Amino acid sequence: MEEIHHSRTLPADLSAPAAVLQWRTRAAGVTAVFAILAVLDLLLSHSFDAILHGWLMGLILCLSLTLGGLALLMVQWVSGGKWGLLIRRPLEAMSRTLPIVFLMFLPIAIFIKRIYIWARITHPEQALHNGLIDAMQAHAIAYKRPYLNIEGFWIRGIIYFLIFGIFTYFLNKWSLQRDTDTAHNNWYWQKKFENLSGPGLVVYSLVLTGMCVDWVMSLDPTWFSSMFGFMFIVAQGYAGLAFVILVVLALSQYSPMDAVLRKTEQHDLGKLCFAFVMLNIYMAFSQYLIIWSGNLPNEIRWYMDRITGGWGPIAGLDFLFHWVLPFFLLLSRDIKRNKTKLARVCVIMLFARCWDTWWLIAPAFPSERANLHFTWGMLEYIFVPGAMIGLWLIYFFTTLRSRNVVAQNDPHLVELMESQHAHA
Amino acid sequence: MVTPGISPQEPRRVTGADGMIDPVTGEQRVIAPGHTFRSVTEKLSRIVLTPHTPVGWFLGLGLAGSVAILLLVAVTWLFLKGTGIWGITIPVAWGFAIINFVWWIGIGHAGTLISAILLLFKQKWRNSINRFAEAMTLFAVVCAAMYPVIHTGRPWLAIYWLFPYPNTMNYWPQFRSPLMWDVFAVSTYATISVVFWYIGMIPDLGTMRDRAKSKFARFVYGNMALGWRGSTRHWMRYETASLLLAGLATPLVLSVHTVISFDFAVAIMPGWHTTIFPPYFVAGAIYSGFAMVLTLAIPIRKFYHLEDLITLRHLDNCGKVMLATGFIVAYGYSTDIAYAWYSADKWEFFMAWNRIFGPMGWSYWILIVSNILIPLTTLWSRKLRQNVVFLFILSLIVNTGMWFERFVIVVVSLTRDYLPGSWGTYKATRWDYMTFIGTLGLFTFLFFLFIRLLPMIPMSEIRQILPGAKINEAELQQRGGH
Repeated sequence: MEEIHHSRTLPADLSAPAAVLQWRTRAAGVTAVFAILAVLDLLLSHSFDAILHGWLMGLILCLSLTLGGLALLMVQWVSGGKWGLLIRRPLEAMSRTLPIVFLMFLPIAIFIKRIYIWARITHPEQALHNGLIDAMQAHAIAYKRPYLNIEGFWIRGIIYFLIFGIFTYFLNKWSLQRDTDTAHNNWYWQKKFENLSGPGLVVYSLVLTGMCVDWVMSLDPTWFSSMFGFMFIVAQGYAGLAFVILVVLALSQYSPMDAVLRKTEQHDLGKLCFAFVMLNIYMAFSQYLIIWSGNLPNEIRWYMDRITGGWGPIAGLDFLFHWVLPFFLLLSRDIKRNKTKLARVCVIMLFARCWDTWWLIAPAFPSERANLHFTWGMLEYIFVPGAMIGLWLIYFFTTLRSRNVVAQNDPHLVELMESQHAHA
Repeated sequence: MVTPGISPQEPRRVTGADGMIDPVTGEQRVIAPGHTFRSVTEKLSRIVLTPHTPVGWFLGLGLAGSVAILLLVAVTWLFLKGTGIWGITIPVAWGFAIINFVWWIGIGHAGTLISAILLLFKQKWRNSINRFAEAMTLFAVVCAAMYPVIHTGRPWLAIYWLFPYPNTMNYWPQFRSPLMWDVFAVSTYATISVVFWYIGMIPDLGTMRDRAKSKFARFVYGNMALGWRGSTRHWMRYETASLLLAGLATPLVLSVHTVISFDFAVAIMPGWHTTIFPPYFVAGAIYSGFAMVLTLAIPIRKFYHLEDLITLRHLDNCGKVMLATGFIVAYGYSTDIAYAWYSADKWEFFMAWNRIFGPMGWSYWILIVSNILIPLTTLWSRKLRQNVVFLFILSLIVNTGMWFERFVIVVVSLTRDYLPGSWGTYKATRWDYMTFIGTLGLFTFLFFLFIRLLPMIPMSEIRQILPGAKINEAELQQRGGH
């Protein structure tokens, strides 16, 4: 029989606990350490490109936490349910970190020629003649020029951020208004949020697809896969959900989250994580199977770069971290209902995202393509993203602290205060 | 007991005269107020146990049966003459049979989604519609599974080609072929669906046994109820079994149509070989399945006066699911075109151009209008999602559109492949049409039998979501519960 709390009450103070500030200090420490390491490593590797490659990986990771937060925020508005209320404020705080991700994007936009081959090579014919690229690359770069050009990359990048910014702004603004609003009823607010979030999800999926083509897929201009955008969307949910659960579990050590988080909803969140774990492997495997069976030269090369030359074990470990471990752990009801254990699974899932992002990005660069080997520059894939995530966390904890961590004026809040039953 | 503690000064949305709007959430109620355990059981069991079968039912069954005869005729002729009677040619070696197979099996997916995934997501509204949606799944699978078998032309030999069994000839099917995977996907799907459907029905079969007047009905329902007595232990095992089966059925919602998408995607044919196929096929399956749920639910609730159990909330929610899955389908169409250009591959690009502007471009436009333009603009409106007539018409439109989607994928891609010298065209024959229309008749025929012989809405599950079933905490504490 589960532990049952009778007469649960909502604390008067719903603001974020002071512990958030401590976490922020720790994040600052992490940032400093990784930043120093990154600089020291630069002295050893003498490779500014390595910093940029790590930076791209850090950008993609921070982006997945920010936009994962935004997407889940919109999903919980359209789907409804108690679990949504529980994680709403942390999700909002995640989405409000968009400005810092935009700042992280700027170095990529500025040093675009050092990262993307299509930006570097202005005359594909000549480059082909000089043996810098092969015929397939030359054709792809020339053919895709109307889309893959530097100005287009910049303009689209700014438009992407503007669009996400609009949704972030309104969802956050209204949520704060709702806390103290007594003039309108639940129906009014519910519809208001739904009407923005429904179309928001449609726009989100299109914009994110564009984003992942620009930033990740075009690293190899010859490659394409129509499912890649969808996979990227699922990856945002995967990372975003694991992170927000971690935040809620951490917050639940303190008031007010300890009064709101029940075993029942924690279990539900664990199940949702499980769904993302399945969805992720489903997409990854389907894409792999289709490309493997087709074995066409313009598709298979992308995988060959990532499974040969020492990358094979990395791909295998990706499978282990991304699916095998979370899948078998999350099957257990006990793990989903135990705060410490669930938190550990979420950490594994976030680590898997880092691992996977590395595997996606690093083999796209000529020095590492189908050739995994140690260089000092390789370590920047740890140091630079580490420092960036630390920086992101500092910003996140500041935004989290700026508002109450439990949203009010929502009928689900009353349900969360009800005592829980063993099979609820 | 409604959710307590909403502040009394909270302004409420004006509730409808019939009390169908829930004052707390402002949503339509899942079940009309005023129902008790007894009234639900009475109402639903009477449909089956009445000695007075409605005349309309006989007419419907007769009509559906006569249409189903077309299938018998067409299939008999097929077995006598071979697949040459169909419109298939080279290069279009897959015609109606595969289109219909994909269409039918897609329709089945909504039933599994409703019964399994929505159960795991604790969506209580599913309780009203899961039984007949699951029946729809079974009958759709029956219609679907027939096509791959008959499309071999000599189905009595198909066992050699389809089933891996140890034999003296040491003769095995091609395990690397997705057609082989289909056999496993579809047969697993059919098995789990039947078991899930049947297990879910056991408490209701017990009720039918206890309420039946005639000896024969008591005997049949009594045997089918497998000794159900409704004890706590029975319920506990029933609940556990339901959850386990839901867990088993959930991956099937994704896997079956995914394997079917592999039938196309693992080939290197432009228009088939694209990685978006698995999720987009699954979404399309659920999209058409929910359309079929609406096609069936709307006339049934009208005919049997079930508007208070299958309420506007159900129709509204079905509309919402269609909106979401419809957009995934639209995403699939868009990426198909976008990547046809982005791939920098001239055959991919030609395929997209040929689909839209080629000689069979009309079929593409039918699918765009009926899958995207009409539903995805109108379904945003709550008013239209709760307009019964509109939804019924829309469900037919979407089902037509989804059929044409498969037509475009199967036929149009095949007509013009890499070599212009091998281009061809396709024209279905009367036997193609008869087979397809015949399965529509068979499906409807089976469905008529189902609603007459078995409780189409689960009584036991409806009782669980009535206000009377909610545990009253105050009372529990008074009694010193737990």
